[in-house]
Amino acid sequence: MGQVLGLWIGAFLTLCVFSFLYRDNPFFRFAESLFAGISLGYYIGTVSANTLAPNLFRPLFRDFPNQAHLLIPLLLGLNLYCRFIPRIAWMARISLAVYIAYFVGINMVQKLQGEVVPQIGATILSPWGGAFTPLDNLILITGVVCVMVYFYFSIEHKGPVGAVSRLGIWFLMVGFGAAFGYTVMGRVSLLIGRMNYLFIDVVRATRQIL
Amino acid sequence: MKLERLVRLDRRIIYLLIAVGTLLPILWRIGFPVSPTPPVQALFARLETLGPGDIVLASFDYGPTTAPEITPMARAVLRHCFERRIRVVAIALFPLGGVTMGGEVLGEMAAEYPALRDGEDYVYLGYKDGTQAAMKLMGASFASVFPFSNAGVPVEEIPLMQQVRNYADIDLVVSFSTNVIGEWWANLVNAQFGVPVAVGTTAVWAPKHFAFLDSGQILGLLGGLKGASEYEHLLVAAYPRLEPLYERAGVYTAMKGMDAQTVDHAIIMLFILIGNAAHFWMRRRESARRPG
Repeated sequence: MGQVLGLWIGAFLTLCVFSFLYRDNPFFRFAESLFAGISLGYYIGTVSANTLAPNLFRPLFRDFPNQAHLLIPLLLGLNLYCRFIPRIAWMARISLAVYIAYFVGINMVQKLQGEVVPQIGATILSPWGGAFTPLDNLILITGVVCVMVYFYFSIEHKGPVGAVSRLGIWFLMVGFGAAFGYTVMGRVSLLIGRMNYLFIDVVRATRQIL
Repeated sequence: MKLERLVRLDRRIIYLLIAVGTLLPILWRIGFPVSPTPPVQALFARLETLGPGDIVLASFDYGPTTAPEITPMARAVLRHCFERRIRVVAIALFPLGGVTMGGEVLGEMAAEYPALRDGEDYVYLGYKDGTQAAMKLMGASFASVFPFSNAGVPVEEIPLMQQVRNYADIDLVVSFSTNVIGEWWANLVNAQFGVPVAVGTTAVWAPKHFAFLDSGQILGLLGGLKGASEYEHLLVAAYPRLEPLYERAGVYTAMKGMDAQTVDHAIIMLFILIGNAAHFWMRRRESARRPG
């Protein structure tokens, strides 16, 4: 019974959200606010139970002498709340600085080593050949060069540079078109999931209980 | 006048048609053909080379908001692993629902294979916050990121985890991701630790992942519901005993979903064509009417 009740609440909230397709209304706003609130609550609960408890509190309580270094992230985390006390609000910036520095460091290496270099490498190809047709590599190289010229603003886009830049726009448009097509597919998939929920899952569970 | 009415068609009529186009194929299966593409075949072929001694790291990097696309691919890949007795270490790195999705899908699939034992053939380590930091630290030690399993068992007491110290002990990472996390498995984990990575992602994120596929940073890619349906098709073709699982009435699968997807795409394309034709027709008529 509890499961069916849950399914019916889900169905009601789904219909509340779908009602926006007709026009904005209080049911949609209620579902939207509920979703935002529950998401935040879920996130706090998940992080507490899955990260703070097993990776911070349990090791500290179980084996303090060997895990004392965990006090550093604990204090840095607590320090973030200083921003709510105006007199010492500036102290929160120390924790933010550590957080930002860590992720800037990770991202710099990640982007350069894991993205820029391999992607440049993947573009250094023989112009003839490719996975599907002999022109694949040529199209790829031309596209990369033209799009890079389009985003190069130190030379005025006139004459031959303008022509190459315009070709770059065409490549971008084809890329955006493909991405948009995929986006439509993604959104329709979500609709299929909801329809399946409303007309298969809910109906089947209700039938079983009746 | 009729053309004007067509161009100004109430969008709610289109919504209604899409709703009908989605619902009918869900209720009555059409069974459009599925043709697997090379990125999907590549992941399938890779798993076919693995066996009982190998370990796959399955990362649940998505939540309920994209479950209709990702859950079918996660089910298919896990079924494939369990069919081949490949051991699975499952984790979740997506904050809004990853841990729930991982638990549900792994639980469902494990229940289909009662001979497999929790902790020996598969283990669920649960969710960890700070995605990139967690990914990087797993390169040194899984135990420091996941000191306990999702059920609260210390990792040193889990037989499977005694064989997994870091990425060197992992034969393949498969990320079921909803956003940039799939990309991070390629540009961080594959780039820095050399572990083979495959990604199953939403259709919205698939185009960007093709660049990583071309550069060899990911070895296989399942893009959206289409990718999931292709994997299901390959799985059923290679393991016919699984076919009833995908044909059961009332069970959502990507192959069934693709029927509705195809009908909806036909409706959308029809309206794009009609809308554009009407627009250009009206423009031509107006320029012909204009004096001079």
